[in-house]
Order: sequence, then structure tokens, then C-alpha cells
Amino acid sequence: MKIKFINKVVGMAALFGAMTGCSLTDVEPADRILDGVDGATAINTAGRVKTAVIGVYEAAQRGYYQGAVDRGYPFGAAATEQGDMRGEDMYNDQAFFEITYTNAWTPTTANNVAMWAGLYRVINRANIVLAAIDNAVATGIITETLGNNYRSEVLFLRALSHHEALIHFSRPFSGAPDSYGVPYRTSPIDGTDDIAGGLEAGRGTVASAYAALLKDLDDAERFAPTTGAASSDPVAFTVTPYFANKNAIIALKTRVKLHMRDWAGVITEYDKIKTAYQLMPTPEGPFVNWTSTEAVFSMQNSAISNPGTNASLANMYGNPDFKARGLVKVSPVIWRSAFWVDGDLRKTTLTTSNANGVFSHKYRRYTINDDATPLIRFAEVILNAAEAYARQGDLTTAVTLVNQVRDRAIPASTPSYTEASLGDQNGVLTAIWNERRIEFLAEGRRWADIHRLAGEGLLTGVPSKAQSRSVTAIAQYSAGGRLVLDHPLLYTNDLFVWPIPLDETLNNPTLAAQQNKGY
Amino acid sequence: MRKILLTIFSCVLSLYAVAQEGAVQEKKVTGKVTSFEDGSTLPGVNVVVKGTTIGTATDGNGVFSITVPENATLVFSFIGLQTKEVEIGARTTSVDVVLASDISQLNEVVVVGYGTQERKEITGSVTSVSAKDLENLIAPSFDTQLGGRAAGVQVTTPGGVIGQRPIVRIRGVNSLTSSADPLYVIDGVPVVTSDRSSIISTNPLANINPSDIQSYEVLKDGSATAIYGSRAANGVILITTKRGSKGKSSINYSGSVGFSENVDRFDLLNGDQFVTIANEKRSNSGGTALAVAGENTDWQDYIFRKGFVQQHNVSFSGGTETSTYFFSLGYTDQQSSVVKNDMERYSFRANLDQKVGTRLKLGTSLSYTYTQINGLNNGANSLSGAIYNATRSLPNVAIFDPANVEYDGYNTTADGAALGRGNNLANVDNNIPNIAFVLDHNKNRNRNNRVLGSVYADLEIAEGLSARTQIGVDLTLPDDFRSWDPRHGDGRGTTGNVFQAYNPAYRWNWQNTLNYQKSINDVHNFNITAGVEYQKTTFSGFNGSGTGLADRFFLQQNLISNSYINQFSGGSFSERGFESYFGRLNYNYNDKYLVSISARNDAISDLYKDNRSGFFPGASVGWRISQEEFFTSTLISDFKLRASYAELGNVEIGTLPYAGGYSAVLYGPSNGIALTQVTNLPLEWETSKKFNVGLNLTLGRVTFEADYFTTKIDNMVLNAPVAPSLGVPPSNAIAQNVGSMKNSGIELRVSSRVLERGEFSWNTDFNFTLIKNEVTNLINPLSSTYNRTEVGRSIGELYGYRWAGVNEANGNPMYYKADGSIVQYNLSLASANRGWKTYDPNDHANVSTASSLTSGDLAFLGRTLPTWSGGWTNTFSYKHFDLEIFTRYSGGNYIMNETKRLLLGQGFSNNHADILNRWTEAGQNTDIPKVFSGQDANMWQTGNANSRFVQKGDFVRIQNIVLGYRVPSTVLDKISKGNVKSARVIAQVQNPFTFTGYDGLDPELNQYSDQLQYGVDWNAAPIIRTYSLGLNVGF
Repeated sequence: MKIKFINKVVGMAALFGAMTGCSLTDVEPADRILDGVDGATAINTAGRVKTAVIGVYEAAQRGYYQGAVDRGYPFGAAATEQGDMRGEDMYNDQAFFEITYTNAWTPTTANNVAMWAGLYRVINRANIVLAAIDNAVATGIITETLGNNYRSEVLFLRALSHHEALIHFSRPFSGAPDSYGVPYRTSPIDGTDDIAGGLEAGRGTVASAYAALLKDLDDAERFAPTTGAASSDPVAFTVTPYFANKNAIIALKTRVKLHMRDWAGVITEYDKIKTAYQLMPTPEGPFVNWTSTEAVFSMQNSAISNPGTNASLANMYGNPDFKARGLVKVSPVIWRSAFWVDGDLRKTTLTTSNANGVFSHKYRRYTINDDATPLIRFAEVILNAAEAYARQGDLTTAVTLVNQVRDRAIPASTPSYTEASLGDQNGVLTAIWNERRIEFLAEGRRWADIHRLAGEGLLTGVPSKAQSRSVTAIAQYSAGGRLVLDHPLLYTNDLFVWPIPLDETLNNPTLAAQQNKGY
Repeated sequence: MRKILLTIFSCVLSLYAVAQEGAVQEKKVTGKVTSFEDGSTLPGVNVVVKGTTIGTATDGNGVFSITVPENATLVFSFIGLQTKEVEIGARTTSVDVVLASDISQLNEVVVVGYGTQERKEITGSVTSVSAKDLENLIAPSFDTQLGGRAAGVQVTTPGGVIGQRPIVRIRGVNSLTSSADPLYVIDGVPVVTSDRSSIISTNPLANINPSDIQSYEVLKDGSATAIYGSRAANGVILITTKRGSKGKSSINYSGSVGFSENVDRFDLLNGDQFVTIANEKRSNSGGTALAVAGENTDWQDYIFRKGFVQQHNVSFSGGTETSTYFFSLGYTDQQSSVVKNDMERYSFRANLDQKVGTRLKLGTSLSYTYTQINGLNNGANSLSGAIYNATRSLPNVAIFDPANVEYDGYNTTADGAALGRGNNLANVDNNIPNIAFVLDHNKNRNRNNRVLGSVYADLEIAEGLSARTQIGVDLTLPDDFRSWDPRHGDGRGTTGNVFQAYNPAYRWNWQNTLNYQKSINDVHNFNITAGVEYQKTTFSGFNGSGTGLADRFFLQQNLISNSYINQFSGGSFSERGFESYFGRLNYNYNDKYLVSISARNDAISDLYKDNRSGFFPGASVGWRISQEEFFTSTLISDFKLRASYAELGNVEIGTLPYAGGYSAVLYGPSNGIALTQVTNLPLEWETSKKFNVGLNLTLGRVTFEADYFTTKIDNMVLNAPVAPSLGVPPSNAIAQNVGSMKNSGIELRVSSRVLERGEFSWNTDFNFTLIKNEVTNLINPLSSTYNRTEVGRSIGELYGYRWAGVNEANGNPMYYKADGSIVQYNLSLASANRGWKTYDPNDHANVSTASSLTSGDLAFLGRTLPTWSGGWTNTFSYKHFDLEIFTRYSGGNYIMNETKRLLLGQGFSNNHADILNRWTEAGQNTDIPKVFSGQDANMWQTGNANSRFVQKGDFVRIQNIVLGYRVPSTVLDKISKGNVKSARVIAQVQNPFTFTGYDGLDPELNQYSDQLQYGVDWNAAPIIRTYSLGLNVGF
């Protein structure tokens, strides 16, 4: 009796052991779709091709900051703030952006590390998805045409990311086309086998990187559907600024060619899309309606997916009266400049003030933080074209174009620009550059202009700024108010370009040997 | 363990006593035998008339009665206790005897994996920590008190926030990016130790009531741990809870009340000093004054307090021949020294054992605990972090502003964006909120229900052969609740924020073992164990949150439907399976030659099927020289040599690190997926090879134990960093088998009954550990802001710039370049002259030559892992008083005092009082540069460690002083008429003194708990000192 009982126990134990033994360690994740395990391919339906492409936008919207998805590097919002804080027109009021504002970065500064890592995160994700698209086309999951439509968006994001990296980490094309560029990566790194090859690629030159990104943009333009973007809707090809369509690709080319001083090229691209968009009647238009006729390409945020309280545009730039943190103000430097006339709608409707100073009012989704991050507006395309015409000596067209942007904002009492009022080519160009400063205030574009203009010698470098944390009262915005200037940075200073992050040089011998000078 | 033995033996011995009754009738002597250590009565103590076979044993109440001849000597003995002889005088009829524990503890039974062993037979390195030493201490969890108790065990309490878990390392750090925490096994069941709160730090081990614990066994070397195979690379801590014993039932109460306080405070500027310094920063940089004299507020007065602490435990235990029981109820309420941070725990335990017939034994261990922790936001960089905020808040403004009714009378700016600025012309840096408002209005609460339970059946199949099955479960059911006031602080930016989460962890564990014991001719002793173990753990979680709350009423207790306009939710899931087959053979020849061999084959779900199984063998030998015939020393009563070797693994390598795939991502409102992990199928087990030699020696009153060990970890599963420009998901790292590392060290323990004079005695127990860590192979260095791990050095050494002092000519901060030359950052008013300049030793004022400080000038600044550590317990006893002084020490490491660096910041917020020494005039020799608004980054090189703030972390801490008084049993009997068996009152102070050269608040404060980032004191809350009075009563 006893023996039988024991046998039963042992038998059951063995049985249970055998039953559980085979399944216990066979565990599959519930939170990720396996790829590359036992032949699994995650991107195996048309739907997943689409969502994988959207995943590349996500990398652009929200990158890593110190190991966590946060803050909106490289395009969500943090990048906008860095672009402004490197310039003189927005002002750092707190310790938060002090390092960038006072040019005190090093190879370990979190902002430039996050920017670098975030940009290459987009790039590698783009390359991984391009390979997945190739596979989906090859296996008949989607058509070649649809594949190309998707490719155009991904190539656009790849080019945009490389361009942003060039602006921050390399000397400008306009000044040093043969200096170090950034590694232009076109093949996916999705396993340990790919690492060695990836590490071989050097920085190349600025010119070679520009050539590569232009090729990507040309391919993207060629692959794009005639309207809309496949990832917004692969059937209806909905037009929206949140997904890159053919016109957005062309618009980016006007920017890139402007940096390359390819004036004719800028105009060629501008001509392709000059009727595709329309400026809104007022400067406030594109900020009240994020998908207006003027929005070319923006990052889309939502209440759940946004750069968070530590970076969202409304929070960082907004007036604390509206529950924003207000860590960045409009600088008295531009506010008090003669070229920004009183009564300009961009002063009256796109800023607000409190006792401490003036704040941008472009982003208004306080407490929700889902304002779109404008990356390319048609106003920029127009001003790109205006500058290209002016550079080529066609001052008439240039003035007409700059007035398109300016006239909707200035009060009736202020006359439009004329060739005569601006004097010569230099006067026209200066007017265009000033107009860019006003029009794109708090949109992060200032650094890119300083970068290219300093490269040409048209600026000595980063102009002096209002001294960090010196602006504490609204009175300082009035003429005669106290204004302490500080933190200029000469083009010749090694700090003018950001360092390759230490994490990179530690793990990448090729780039360790190609660090920017002075770091 | 001793209690169990006592019971078993008392049974045997009372039979023996019965047989002896009435042999000779000369004189009757009665008495009571009590424990020296705690005054409890001792049942089953052998009482024999010396030189005869006349004897008896004490009963369940420790009482004996024996009839002896004239002028006899009584010998009192028991396993694990020192034998004592008492001469019986002519008129003596009553003898009370106090027995102390035998320090050599040769016959002590020690819990080892899947069984027990007598200490003399152990060939591995196992240290027992008696729960008695810890049970009256006030601590949120038992693990915080293990430091210094055993050689080779380092426990660091990184801060004074209740809920924070201590860092426990056994024989050093044995992993770089996998877990380095030991395996905790409670009553045979490995427990889940991952923190399941998503809002605050909560230590899962705080769910265990320390007073339920009978003993701790720390398994350190390969042989001792090998039976736990793949889980044992970081050592194993076996915990045995109390069980009942046969005899009269007993009821015990223990309780303490007291208060806790912070050991130290920051030395900050007062309001007036702040005004001077803040304005000098401004004027030096060309700005205008912002600070205007006002109050003198020390914000620390608000955030620190004397926290009330209390704990009460009641236990019932007893049993019959066939069943024994132990029930306990526990309650503790502990407030930390930082306001709003406290913990309450209710616990219940039932341990039952039942014999069915003669061969079957069944039992259960079951505990349920409810723990509530009101946590603290103490983020080192959080605007509402208590320490960060309180040390930066403007000291010249008031905490309250009764007129500010909208903000409940706290001082805030009118818009609520920041702390009110008082008379100042600017807001405090980063618009930090009024911390008093935040602490009083925001909630961070974790409530956890924890069930730990197991049942077993033990069947004796044949003589010496038994089978045991045990099923254990570990359920962690945590509920997080966090709410932020919509008006001010973290909730302002979202108009209120409420968050709730449920992140349960379920584990079941099933073990089946067969054990065979056989002794041939009493010289060949075998003990063979074979078994299987299965385990599955499921982690899941979901959360809901809302923002946009118009009415604060709904922020009190829970998410309330429809109270917020924006709703969010999230969730996660992962599972881990474990399957193992193991065996162990212990053999000894005549208690002289000892051999132990074990092997284990483990499979885990986290590795790809081809590499899933790992084989982990271990072996050890021992030689008890003192048992040899040629060994005739009368001085040395025990002498054993041991050696062991084993290969172990580490299972805590993350969930499915080999399996790449696409995760869900959201681009704004659009669904996306993205490759978030790359596939790496060849990922395999790392191996940890542990070698140990040791000896045990008992020399008269002194026992001595020494070990030398090495651990070599190869093929490490490392989250190896990949250059960021490759964009490898998820965060530029791939889990790969790269790298190796070595730990080696020496452990010593000496314990002795130093002195015994009449009723005074002094026992001492000293341990010392020397340990060296060296990383022997890596692909690339592993770096973080303050630390770098590189081949040829120890893990996580501090890495940064080398401070060269302040240029006395101009107040510029200076640093060394790699070539030994010095550069200075020229804090010039004229921005054009600012920047790095070479320093001319012959012309200090010369700032004409531009230079730079680059990443090539970074250098190693000191190791962060202590190289020596230990503890020293001294116990004194006189009559009914006893006094224990426990000292802990550690050193050989360096600390980066980031707290201090940031408190010497150049912004508009408060500073450390050291800043008063700033350079102000030419020729002044100081270590604080000229103050200069906004120049933190250049002045202090904030992106890296800085030798200016790196200091030695050596310390000696008087950890506990415990004074006890045992109420004499005669008094007790008189008062309680025999109802109260024992009573002891205790006065204790925990953490009274620390001797250290470190100038931060405490040398153990640490912001990081992972291995690669370590030794950084960054806005951690000061650790706690506790004073308490306690009472233990036994009925």
C-alpha cells in the first residue's frame, strides 16, 4: 500500500516534470514581435510595413536623452530649443539651457550627446526599415510602387537627419566643404555582425555628405507619390505635414541647396512647389492651425506621445502665466532691434509677456504639450528663394518674396520693403536674414543660419547674446533698458562646432581619430 | 536552529533522565538553566554528576531537579553551548546556571541548499548570522542590518529614504551589467527581489518581518553556492524562519518605540550670506544685483524632523510530539527623518509541521504582509526632489506667506510657477517650487500585499532514504498611487496629475529532492541529495493616469472616474521560466576527511534554445587535522583545512536578451513599430569560476576562520555599448558574451570570549575582508558621467578632470592637462578674454595664451569599490545587564561629492557655506574660485568627475549600541506568579557615531546602485540615526 503510494507520487512528479519541463523555458515575448529568431520576420504584412515606416518618424520625434525616451531629440522639440539657444534671439532664463547658451559644452554634455545619438537612431532605423521594405517588395507583400512610396519618406528622414548632424557637428559647407563631415550611413546595423563594418566608415567630407544626402532627396522625390504620403494612408495618400510628401522633400532641398550656396538649385526647387502651398493670411495662422496651407513638414505630437514637460515647446517657451515653465524667453536683443517694428503681428499675436519678460506664444497647448513641432514652413521656402534670387542679383524678385512673408505681419503704418528702401544687394540680403530671425523665432532655425553665414564670413560667429540670466524684468525690453551682452563665439573658435560625443569616440576608433579640433 | 535541536534532544534526554531517576538518594538539587545571550530558559540541557552516570535534563521551562551525592560537581552541557561545571556545596539545594553559546559552534547545524549540515563537516565558506543580533533593531528591512556581520558581505545604505534598498554584495561585485545582488532563499523558496513600484523605491525584502527570522546563512564560495548553480554567482543568503518546538506553548512579545533623526545636515548659507554671495556672482560677471536681504530661512528645518518609530511583534509557538506551530503577528510604523516619508507594515506568519505516522512529515510556511510606504521624490535632479530643492531654495525668503491664500498660505510666485522671490529681483534657478508646498500636497504611495508560502511533504521511504517535495509561491501585489497638486510643483504643468499602477509578480517554485544518508561502520558517512526544480515567474503591470484635474478633492486616494480630462494607460508583461536538475554528494571519512561534490544543470527561458542549458559543477574537500591521531595539541581543539572550486552562472541577465524584435511605438497619434532589440542567438551563459581555500581553528577560547578566494568571471553577459552613430536599438548596446573580470580577497574572522570574571564577561567577534577587483577583458571601456570601467582597473573608477587649484592672482579655476601642465579658465568680465588659458607658474597673472581642456585630459581619479571592510561586535555582560557595541568599517574607496560640487553652483540659488571662502582678492590662497554667474560648467567641469570633489571614503561607524537589562527570574516570578518567563528591557541607539575624513554628510551615500556607476554622493538624503527603547517578554 505504502509502496504504491510512493510510486504514485514519484510517477506523478516525473509526469509533471516532463510536462512542464518542455514548456517552462519556451517563452516568447508579449511586448515585441520576434524578428530574426528561428526565421521569424516581423515585417510580414502590408500593415506592418506601414507601421514600421511610422516607427522611423517616431525616432525623429522622440529620441533618447540619457537612456530614456524623452525630450524630443532630434526633431521633436529639444532640437528646436538647442537651435535657438545656440543663437542670440532667444534667451536662456535659467540653469536649464545654460550650457548651450554659454557655449560651455564638452564631449559629454547631455544635449549634444542626445542630439548625435538621436539623429543616428533615426538613420539606422531608416536603414533597417528600408531593408524591410526591400524584403516586403521582394516577397510580394507590397507592390514595387508602394515600396517606392514608402522608401521616399524614409529616405527623406535619413537625409534630414544627416543634414541636421552636419549643421551641429561639422563646419559649414559654405566655409569648409573639405573638412570632416559626418558618417553617411546607408546600410542597416541590426546585429553584432554589422558592427565592424559600420565602424569602418569615416566622416568623409562635408561636401561628400551633402552629395549623399542630395542623392537621397532626389531618390525620395522620384519615389514619392504625386500627392500625399503612403504612411499617412497607403490607399488615399492623404496630404498632411506630419508625413513627408513630395513637396516636403523638395522644400527640404531648398534648404539644403541654400546651405550649399547653390542659388540656382534653390530657385529650381522653389519653382516646383511655389504654388503647392500658401502663406496663411496672418503670422498666427500656422500656429493656430498646425495643418494649414503653410505647413510643409512638422513633427506630430499627441497628449501621450510628446517631448514631455522637460522639453515640450509650450512648456519651455510659454509664459508661466499659462502654466508653462517659461525657461526660455524672447531675447531683448531681437525685441529691441530696429528691424522688428512695433505693432508687427509677430510681436503682438505671437508673444506674450509678464513682469519678467517676453515669451513666445507660438505654442499654446499648455499642460497638454501636443503642439506640432514645425520643421519646414512655406515661409522658409519663400525666404530661401528670396535669398537665392538676391544672391543672384535678382533683387526685385527677392524683395517681392520677402514682402510676402513680412507684409502679412507689419502694421499698416509700416511700409513694405522696396529695392530702394533696402539700398543694395547687401541691404536686401540683410533684410531677408533679419526677416528669418523674426519669422522663425522660437522655431530653432537661428543656429542653421549662423552656421552657414559664419562659414561665408558674413557673420564673425555667434553674435553676442543677452547675458544668461541677466534679463529679469520687462523693462529691459524697452529701449534704454539694461542689456548686458555676453557669450559671443567666433567662427574660428573650436567650440563653434559641437564635439563628437565621448561615447562615440570610446567605441569607434575611426571617429576617435576624427574628433573635431580642440576636444 | 538551535531551538529545534534543543527540542529534539530534550526529548531523547528526558527519557534518559527517567531511566536514571532514583539511582542514588543523597540530596536533591533543583535549578533553572538560562541562556547567557538572551536570558531565555533552556530546555533539554544535559545535567550530569561529574564522574558518574547520574544525570537528568532540563524540562520545557529550563528547570531541572537531580539528586546528587555529597560534594558533587554538576556538569551542564548541550550542543552549541559551552559546558559549565558547578560544584555543589554542602548546603546547596538550588543552582541557577547560565550557559553561553559555544563560539566554535562545531556541532551547530547550518542550513545549506536543499538540506542542513553540521558546521564541523562543512567544506565550503558559509557564515551564519544569528537573527538574535538583529531582531530588536529598528530597520525597514533585515538586509540593511547584515553589513559587517559576516566577512565578505558588504551592505551599503545609500541614503536615508525609507524604501530605498541597500546595496548588498557578497565577495565583491561579480557582474558588470547583469544583477550583482545575491540570491535570497526564504525557507527553501527563492524569492522575487525586483522592485515592483513604478513611482518610488520600495525594497521587496521589506515585506519580510525581521522578527520572524530564525537565522541567516550566507553562502559565499563556489562549493557552498554550487547547489544553486546558475543563480549563485553573487552568493546566496538563506533565510530560515522560526518554527515551533515541542513542549509548553510560549507567547512572546517584543516591541520598541523611539525616534529617528538625520545624522547630519548641509552647511548652507543663511539669507544674509546668500545675498552677499549671489550679488557677488552677478557683479563679477557684469550683471546687476538680484538678491535683496530678507529672511534667514533654513529649509532643512522644514524637511527634516524627528520621526517616530515603533514596532510590535507577538508570536505564539509550541507543539506536541506530532505537530508544532509558530504563529506571529507583527506591526511596525517607521517615519524617516525626512517629512512625509514613512512605512507601515502588518505581517502575519504561520509555520506548521505535522508528523503523520512515523515516516511522513508535512508542513507549511506561510506569510502575508501588507506594507505601505509613503515615498519621497528625492530625484537628484528633480525640481521637487526634497534634498535637491531644500538645499537650493532661496534662504532669504519665507516658507509661508499667509496672504497667498490661493496656495494655502505657502510662499509662491503669484502665478504659482516657482517659490516666491521675496525681496529678490529674480526667481530661484529653474523656477523650483516651494518644497514645503510640494511635500504637503503631493502623494507618493506604494501599498504592497505580499504572500510567501510553501508546503512540503517529507517521506522516509526507507532507512536513510527520504523524499521531499516542496511547492512555494511568492506573490507580490503592489499598488502605486501618486498625485500631484494642480497648483504648484510637478502637477502645475499638467493641471494636476494622478497616477495609479498595479505591477504584480507571481512566482511558483517546485522542488523535489531525494536524500540518502548512510554510515558504514561509523567511519564512511555518505549524504547524497538529488533533485529537480522548476520555477516560473510572471511580471505584469498596468497603469492608468489622468491630467487636467479641476478639483483637488479627487487627488486623495485613488483614480476617480471622470475627475480628469486627459486619460492615459499603459502596461507590460514578461515571463521567465527555469528548470533544473541537480545532485550533491557529501562524504566524510571518520569526520576527518570531508568531500562534497555537486552538479547542476539549469535551463532558463532567457537564452536561445540551443544555449539554454548550462552545467555548473562544484567540489570541495576538507581535512580536520585535529581529528588525526598524531594531532595531540591540547591547546587547539579544532583545526580544519578546506578548499573548493565551482563554476556558477548568473540568470539575472534581463528578459530574453537574445530575442530581437519590433515593439510598439507611437508617433503622435499614429501607431508604429520599431526594432527595439537586435537578435543575438549565440548569447550564452557566463561562467563564474570560484576558488576558495580556508581554515578553521579553535585555540582555547579563540576561534579563528580564514579564507582566501578568487572569482573569475568569463564570457560575461554584458550589455556591451556600441558606438551611438551605429544607432543600434534600444540604447546603443547589445547583450553579448564579452569581457572577463576577477575578484580575489581574504576574509578573516576571530571571535573570543575575552574575559569571564565572576558575573562579568566580554565576548568579541571581529571580521575583516580584503578584496580586489580587476576587469581583465573588455572590448571597449564602459563610461558614464562620473565613472569609467577599463581593463586592468576595478569596476567603475571615478574618471574626470584633475583640479589644480585656484590661481591666487585672479581667482581662476585651474586644471591639469594630461602632460602635467596647468590651464585656467579665465573668468574675465570681457567675454572676449574668457576661455581656457595656459597658466604660467612664473607669471600667475598672465592669461594671454589660449589653451584648452579636452577629453584627452581626463584621468582616473580613484576606485569606488571599497577594498577593505568588516565588523566588530563586542558584548559585555554583568549580572543582569548586557551591552553590545557593534562597529562597522570600510574603506579603500573614493567618493565623488557631487552634492558639494552642485552646492557650489554659480546660479541664483543657495550654496554650501564653503563658498564663503571664494577668491576675492589677488594673492588670496583658497580652493574656491572667484564666483561668477552662470559659469558652473567651465568652473567645475560638471560633465565629468572632478578631483576637487573626490575624497577617500574610509570610515569606522559605531553602528549600534544596545544596552539590555534582563529582569531576574526571581523578581519575575514574584511579580507575575510564574506567568512571565522572561523579560528584558533594551535601550539602543543605531548609527550613533561615524569616524571619517569624508566631508559630505556620510561616506555611504550613493546616488547609483548599479555597478558601473558608483561612488557618487549626489543629493542623497542623510542617513538615519535611531534611538529606541524596547521590551521583550516571554509568557
